[in-house]
Amino acid sequence: MNEGLIALATAICGLTGIGAAFSIGMATQKSVESAARQPEAADKIQRILILGASLIEATAIYAFILGLLLIFVR
Amino acid sequence: MERLGEEIVSALTPTEIFNINLFGIRISITDTVISMWIAMALIIGVVIFLTRSFKTIPEGRQNVVEIAVEFINNFTQDTIGHHWKTFAPFIGTLLFFLVTANIISIFNFIPTGETLYRITGNESFANWPKYSIRPPAKDVNVPFALATVTTFFIIYGAIKFKKVSGWLKSFVQPIPILLPLNIMEYFIRILSLSFRLFGNILGAFIIMELIYMVVPLALPAALSIYFDLFDGALQAYIFVYLSTFYIAEAVE
Repeated sequence: MNEGLIALATAICGLTGIGAAFSIGMATQKSVESAARQPEAADKIQRILILGASLIEATAIYAFILGLLLIFVR
Repeated sequence: MERLGEEIVSALTPTEIFNINLFGIRISITDTVISMWIAMALIIGVVIFLTRSFKTIPEGRQNVVEIAVEFINNFTQDTIGHHWKTFAPFIGTLLFFLVTANIISIFNFIPTGETLYRITGNESFANWPKYSIRPPAKDVNVPFALATVTTFFIIYGAIKFKKVSGWLKSFVQPIPILLPLNIMEYFIRILSLSFRLFGNILGAFIIMELIYMVVPLALPAALSIYFDLFDGALQAYIFVYLSTFYIAEAVE
């Protein structure tokens, strides 16, 4: 296949990072706000944040694996 | 650039060190398996050292064990609820194994056969199998196997605490039309759990490999703290936390 097209496809995979970064930023912002409002619930909020962040991060990881497959699997 | 790609590909594919012939079935022992054996040996050694001569009133290293066990117990109790006793040993084993396995690459100071050959000029070193300690989770088979074990525990927990009928009923909840989605969920969980761990460890591994190639001195030491220690421990925690969360969901 065309090398340039593969490079382009991999670059498009990388764009997933935009979405993941925005979502993790938003999730962290909200959790910091709620932890500041209710410091006694900080433990629970942190646990929910880690769960959410790891689920959001999965999208970026899938894109990363897809990019690796595009480059290395012929 | 070509050399870089080749090195990364060779790091991705597990290399066979030796193989065992068992009743005609060829079991190949790859470097992943040996890294896992080293991780197991480390854990077993530390545990044997820590758990010798227990007393009623804890002192010295017994305190360390009690803190670790209490941490695991509290963690499972908080997430799973009152059925935590069945799952705490599994969760603890998973957490300690994953943390050790993910940060094991910091013990990578054993010289390879190639390096020894270059230093000493002794021909016999060059024929050594090419082995260096790498995090086992960068081989997709390891996270996949662990995620499969977790799925077995989810099904086991659901059957044990809700009986077979209750488990089968959970497939048609909240409405029967979701049946195919509920069945698919089991497979998607395995995929998402294993790919999350695999992708994170592999990403950190590739970044570290690139840094070693570009700047072999000083800088890797600082970045290794983040990519090997922090990221490895965090990903182990996330894997275990999500496993506990899925089990809790199935048991309730």
